[in-house]
This record gives sequence, C-alpha cells and structure tokens, in this order.
Amino acid sequence: MKSSSHNLVMSALYGGRRGERPPAVNPTSIACHELMDAAGVSFPAAHLDAAAMAELALAGHEITGFDTVMPEFSVDQEVAALGADVDWGDRNRMPDTKSFLYADFSDVVVPDDFLERPSMRVLLDALAILRRHVGGRAAVIGKVMGPWTLSYHMAGTQNFLLQIGMGEKDRVRKMLDQLMPATIASAKAQFRAGADVVVLADHATGNLVGAYHYEDLLLPYHKILTAEIEGPLILHVCGNCSDRLELFAEAGFDAYHFEWVVDARSAVERVGGRMSLVGNVNNTQTLYQGTPEDVYRQARYAIAAGVQMIGPECAIPLATPLENLKAIVAAVHQGY
Amino acid sequence: MADHIETIKAAVVNGAHKEIEDLVRKALDGGSGPEQIIDAAMIAGMDEVGRKFSQNIIFVPEMLVAALTMKKGLDLIKPLLKSENVESKGTIVMCTVKGDVHDIGKNLVVMMLEGAGFDVVNLGVDQSVETLVAKVREIKPAILGLSALLTTTMPEMRRVIEALEAGGLRKNVKVMVGGAPVDADFAGKIGADGYGKDAAEAVAVARSFI
Repeated sequence: MKSSSHNLVMSALYGGRRGERPPAVNPTSIACHELMDAAGVSFPAAHLDAAAMAELALAGHEITGFDTVMPEFSVDQEVAALGADVDWGDRNRMPDTKSFLYADFSDVVVPDDFLERPSMRVLLDALAILRRHVGGRAAVIGKVMGPWTLSYHMAGTQNFLLQIGMGEKDRVRKMLDQLMPATIASAKAQFRAGADVVVLADHATGNLVGAYHYEDLLLPYHKILTAEIEGPLILHVCGNCSDRLELFAEAGFDAYHFEWVVDARSAVERVGGRMSLVGNVNNTQTLYQGTPEDVYRQARYAIAAGVQMIGPECAIPLATPLENLKAIVAAVHQGY
Repeated sequence: MADHIETIKAAVVNGAHKEIEDLVRKALDGGSGPEQIIDAAMIAGMDEVGRKFSQNIIFVPEMLVAALTMKKGLDLIKPLLKSENVESKGTIVMCTVKGDVHDIGKNLVVMMLEGAGFDVVNLGVDQSVETLVAKVREIKPAILGLSALLTTTMPEMRRVIEALEAGGLRKNVKVMVGGAPVDADFAGKIGADGYGKDAAEAVAVARSFI
C-alpha cells in the first residue's frame, strides 16, 4: 500500500496492512499556544469561525506533522446548539458550559435546526474546508459528544451522577434517549461534510463511574450508536478504563482512544484483536512537563506494544511545548 | 442502642437517603447521644464509603448519595450539638483555584471532611490568589484545601502558597492540594504540606494536621 498519511490512518483504523510506519493520530485536540502562534489563529476564534477552526486543525498536520486533521477543539459544539450557555473562553482557557438547561430532567428538545445552529455550522463547514484542502492526503477526523457527555452538560455532571447514585435509572435513561438523536445527527452530518472518521467522546470514565454503570446504563446506547452511524467510529473515554475495555469492544467501536494509565501492552492483548487502539502518551507529566525524549520513549513503548495509532492520551494542555508534540511524530517516523 | 448506630452507619454506606432521617430520630428517641451518632455511625460510615471508593468498589454516584444521606442526618443532629457546645475538629477552607470551575472532586472532599467532623468553609470555584489570602486572614482556618482539574490551572496553587508566605500567613495554615493532574511530587515542589489522591486520602491528610 502507499504509505500516505490518509492510507496509514485508515488502514490502522481497521487493523489492516501496516505500511512503512504507524500513523500519528489526534482524536482530541492538539492545539497549544505555540501551534496557535504558528498558525496565526487563536482561541476562541478557532471555536467560532469555520476558516479559523480549519486553519488551526490544518496546522496540526502541516506544522506538527500529524497524519490527521481534527477541528473540534472543545466539547461544546453540540451543547451550544442544544441551547446551553457556553463561555467560549480565551487563548488560555477552554470553553465551558455556564448553566444547565435540564437540571430538573425535564424533556430535552433537540431543535429542528440543530445542524444549522452556529456552533454546528462552524464545525461542519470546517470539516468541508479540510476535506477540500487535504482530502485523500491526511485523514479528516470529526468529533461528536455521546449522550452521556451531553447529559453532563445538560443536567450538570454532579447532578447527573447523583441521579445514578439515587437509583433514578428511568430519569437517566430518558435523558440519554432524548439526547442520542443529537449525537447521531451530528455524527452523520460530519461524515457527509467530509470526515473520514468520527470520534465519539462519551466520558463514562473510571474516574467517575464504574464498569457496572457503563454496562447497565450506557453500553446499550453505544450498541445502537455504532449500528446507526455507518462510518468508522473511534470511542474516546479518558481516565482509567482498564476495567471496561472488553465492554467498549463489545459496543462495536472500530477503535478506542485511551490514556497512559491504561497499560498499552495489556490493552492490546485484551482487546487488540477486536478493535484498534489509539493513544496513549501521557499529557500532564510527559507531554506538558516532560522532555521530547520522555515523549519519544512513551510513543515507542506504545508502538512496541502494538498500538496501531499513536497520539496524546487526551486533549493536550494549552501550554504543551510544540517540540514535545513533534516527538510523537519523530517516534512514528522511526517505523515499527 | 448499638443496633440504631449500626443501622445508621449502614444507611450512610448504602446511601439510604430516604430513610436516614427516620433512623436518626429513632436513635435519638432510643437514647443514643448526638456525638455517638456522629462518631460511631456517620463518621464511621463515611470512612467505610471512602475506603470502598479508594478500592474502586463504589464510584462517584454512590459516594454522592452517601454524602447526601449523611448530610440529611447531620442536619437533624447539628442543632443538638450546638446547644451542647461540642468542639469542631478544626476549620478547613476549600475551593478550586482561579480558572478552574470543575468542582466534583472538591465537593466530594468537602462532603467527606464534613462527615469526618471538620467545619468546612466551601468557597466554591474559581478563587483568585487575592481572595484566598483575604479569606485565610479573615477566617484563620487550620487548613486550606486547593483543588484543580486542569493542567492549566495547577500553577495557581503555587501562586497561592507564595502569596500566603508573602502575607506572613503561611506558618499558621496547612495547605493541602489535590485534583486529577496533581500528584505528591508536584505538591512537594510547590511547597504544599499535603496531598490526597482521593477524598478519603484528603480526610486522612487533614486528620494528620490536627
């Protein structure tokens, strides 16, 4: 096969031929201050303007050397379109939801013009721009929030988790039921706009809930999502999810984006045959506070372990040094 | 009497928030003292909850509902305590640092500390260095607890400690830090007195200071 960025990513995604080297992939944001400066685009413009969003995503490929372009830098594009009051932050601060529309678990309304609302339009237009610029060259990655993460933003995370603790399963399921159409609509629209693959971020993380919560409350929805959304999906759940890897594979995702705290060798051994893995260079200690050599070593460990796509474990800290990000690219260019 | 205490402890551990008030009333009617209910049932129950959380047997949803259960019980008992002039185990000021609005972890620590008998002043989220210095000067807590979820806000913790030193307040207050990106190494580097990897550890650290 030709070892173009696009081919390497797509083949690795399906566990296919390996080509000359593993791809450097970012299912979540690799925007950092140095990259913003190099691209001449900063936050919050890159959340709010399609051209700025595409420009910053493109810098991840053209300046940093990743094999992917991924334009959604926050977790707020869908929730803003669902009516949440989002503070889009600034150069030093990621966006955040300011108020919770459905804290009382009343009926959630997905607006008819959901995909035409400004925050969704920006994302879809940015994907289309990226497709026109690098389609078939680099892999274009979209990103959608799953119903669990949307619920955090609609009801408030603590409130949502408390309902689970109180055994209010009907309330929880009703909210997931009502938000799932937004996830499906957004994912399908992102494929139509030009995404080669979509990341589905749904933070049922081991830092908050147990594998038994995931299996009981979210796995059934993930099975529906993977069946309904035809294109390839990478699941992103950060934190320590060592106890639920098999459940993620059972849900039918094509790949799972995981953190350093989950050992790469063990992950490959347990689920590598059922889905591809992407990750898992540590953010806080290594990418942010470590040296390029530290980053390189972790990336090589993941490659040696059989992780098909190499990248940061999660959205990187904004002050991450660009040379540390480039060390991931250097590691994959060493080949297998 | 011991039965009442064990039942209340189990209710806290299991998050029986609908039953707790009845159980506490029955215990009081049956002759259990408020301190006994707090120490042997509530605090012991929350210690058990903290242990199970640390061991990944339960997670945040169960912890939240256990804390809610404890709070409902405490609200009934607290008025009785004031009248008997029971001493607090110490005052702790808690918050997330400037720029950080993620407060579930901090809230869990607050709940566990209250469950352990501390007086907690919860300042909420996004607290600036200047506000914290002023609050420490005003409240004179034994402990200041700082939380950060983001790598971008971690450096604020160091700034708070430096400002407390500059303001001549540092020697009178222990500073403990926590949050997902924080570790013991970082806590040591910025001159904090203690670090807890989770809410249960934070209680142990606070107890060690008093």
